[in-house]
Amino acid sequence: MEDYITRMGDGRRVRMTKEQIMSDIVAGMADGADAAQVPELSQDEMERIYEIVCDKSKITSIEPGREVCLSKDAGAIKFNQDNGGSGNAIPCMGRLEGLLVYERSLTFDSMELAWMDYSIKPVKAVINCETSNYEQMAMLTTLPLVMGAMPNMGLYYAPDGPYANPTDLMREFKIEESMAASEAAAEHLTRDIGYVCQEIDKVGCEGFNFDTVASAGDAEFVATLKGMENYRKSNPNAYIECGMSAETVLGIHGGMEYDGKVVAGMYPHEQVKLCEKAGVNIFGSVVNTNTSKSFAWNAARSAVITKECVKVANIPVHANMGMGVGGIPMCELPPTDITGRAAKILIEIANIDGI
Amino acid sequence: MAVAHGLCSGMGGMRTTGDLVCRMQFAKNMKIDAAKKYVADKLEIDPFQLTEENFIRDIRDKEGLGVVTGQPNSPKGLPAKMNIEKVLGITISNCEHYRNQLKK
Amino acid sequence: MTGFEAHEEALKKAIVGCKVPEIKKAVDEAHAAGMPATDIINTMGAAMSDVGVMFERGKLFLPHVLSAAAGMKSAMDILGPELEKNKVQDAKQASVVMGTVEGDVHDIGKSICSTMLQCAGFEVHDLGRDVPSQNFIDEVKGGCTYLGMSALMTTTMAVMKDVIEMLKNDNLRDSVTVMVGGAPVTQAYCDKIGADLYGESASETTEKAKAIRG
Repeated sequence: MEDYITRMGDGRRVRMTKEQIMSDIVAGMADGADAAQVPELSQDEMERIYEIVCDKSKITSIEPGREVCLSKDAGAIKFNQDNGGSGNAIPCMGRLEGLLVYERSLTFDSMELAWMDYSIKPVKAVINCETSNYEQMAMLTTLPLVMGAMPNMGLYYAPDGPYANPTDLMREFKIEESMAASEAAAEHLTRDIGYVCQEIDKVGCEGFNFDTVASAGDAEFVATLKGMENYRKSNPNAYIECGMSAETVLGIHGGMEYDGKVVAGMYPHEQVKLCEKAGVNIFGSVVNTNTSKSFAWNAARSAVITKECVKVANIPVHANMGMGVGGIPMCELPPTDITGRAAKILIEIANIDGI
Repeated sequence: MAVAHGLCSGMGGMRTTGDLVCRMQFAKNMKIDAAKKYVADKLEIDPFQLTEENFIRDIRDKEGLGVVTGQPNSPKGLPAKMNIEKVLGITISNCEHYRNQLKK
Repeated sequence: MTGFEAHEEALKKAIVGCKVPEIKKAVDEAHAAGMPATDIINTMGAAMSDVGVMFERGKLFLPHVLSAAAGMKSAMDILGPELEKNKVQDAKQASVVMGTVEGDVHDIGKSICSTMLQCAGFEVHDLGRDVPSQNFIDEVKGGCTYLGMSALMTTTMAVMKDVIEMLKNDNLRDSVTVMVGGAPVTQAYCDKIGADLYGESASETTEKAKAIRG
């Protein structure tokens, strides 16, 4: 029986038969549709995924004319530091050089200026230096250049911040105190986002990329939505990108609402609607990779969840397609053969607007 | 990762018209096909030609939109963005910021 | 057929419903009907696993999980005398030290995992994040039989291997089940560094830990 070389979600090479691959596509798609409560893919779509997975070329790419835009999180800092996300640790690469390399050699369509400590809280502390840097770097770059950071509300909890850790309080069955801590931290984060955005506006910054949003759960998502909404009100022309941290918003608080809706448990097709309401221009959807499942399983799951997100969105959707998301294996060096296949599947099946 | 995406799926950035298309996604919330059509219409070309490197290079050079190679007297950065404003019919906030810094 | 199917169903429904009064009512009714205490606890434990999965899939939220756990706790209070009489081992004898390894400050996932383990009846010693490796060793020396380490960064996950080496050097390796997790960690990495258990998620980690506990 003919078999195909493919990968597992942790990047290992495996050989699978046609039947095994198709079975995993069906199972992954069903799991995604059930988790996100979205319509299933058609048989034709699953067969197309199968063809892409089984393509025997080393590199699989999109047809000319179907290309999509590339935006970037974490700016160019991964050249000169390894922040735990497979950075290159090139010691002499400055951020300006990095931006220009992304622009002129790596053919990215937009970039962000990112501070090495890539969270709103530390960025606030260096914002005057950063705005000055932006002002000068923007004179040399041609592509859309925003600033960016993660809301990372974890930094507002003990021991880093003034509020008690909600999950610790939960374990002590102090549920109300836990919720109060989340709410207080969320208000603080929204204020800090407001301050950062107010300062970047002063130097004509094109906008802000809110990256890895809701990493601390539902309260962080609401805090960020409110921060983006305020930013949109203060600057109607700002470019706002919002990339999520995971496929679903974890309900650490459970009752946080935005626009009258409880945000906990929301999947990309629901998240994007709130982002639209908040004034976001580009939404970064996430579907997590399961390292114990095959690429076929993960790719089909990613496609079914992302497809509904793109379908309901009135704004462009750039799918997160780095290590461990969007069908890409979770490993330090995501295999090139899978990267192209995963992107082709999301472009053809889910109709994404960018990566 | 970045190389693989650029190679397999990306529009090509300044090498082609990716930065222009992406700018319209940001500026007007345009989905990919609408953004491509908008840029193609402004450049008076077919959307399929948006990723045709050498064809686009000539257009970018002629319009002063910035090219990726070291061409003397071909604008990059701020002056290129000011030309992009004109071609795409939009205002870019940092161009506006630098214009406001000029003394009268 | 146990004869208690209706009560089993009611117990499961109450746990997944995550309301303490409903859970207590279901336990009282099952107990009054003569359902053995161990069966009641086991039924509720299985339902708690469902609660964990539903949390991760966004169908339930952390306060729900904790309410279900509080219901479990009150059931233990109701059934305690019978469990004691039958000399049923209290699951809390299994204690776990949990922490994010030194150099890594990401603790949301680890904290959720700690919560799930606590809900499953483990005694959890959560040391937080950026935990000096020696602190894990000290907890094992103090009696913890499970050691859970989390890392979110490819640069810090290597610390997990160092901790395992320290356990070996102190002749403690065989006395503890080493669990690893976190975004960049995989089953292959778990195998490579000689850990015992990898969890793709908090609920999977908890299920595997429960399976080892027996």
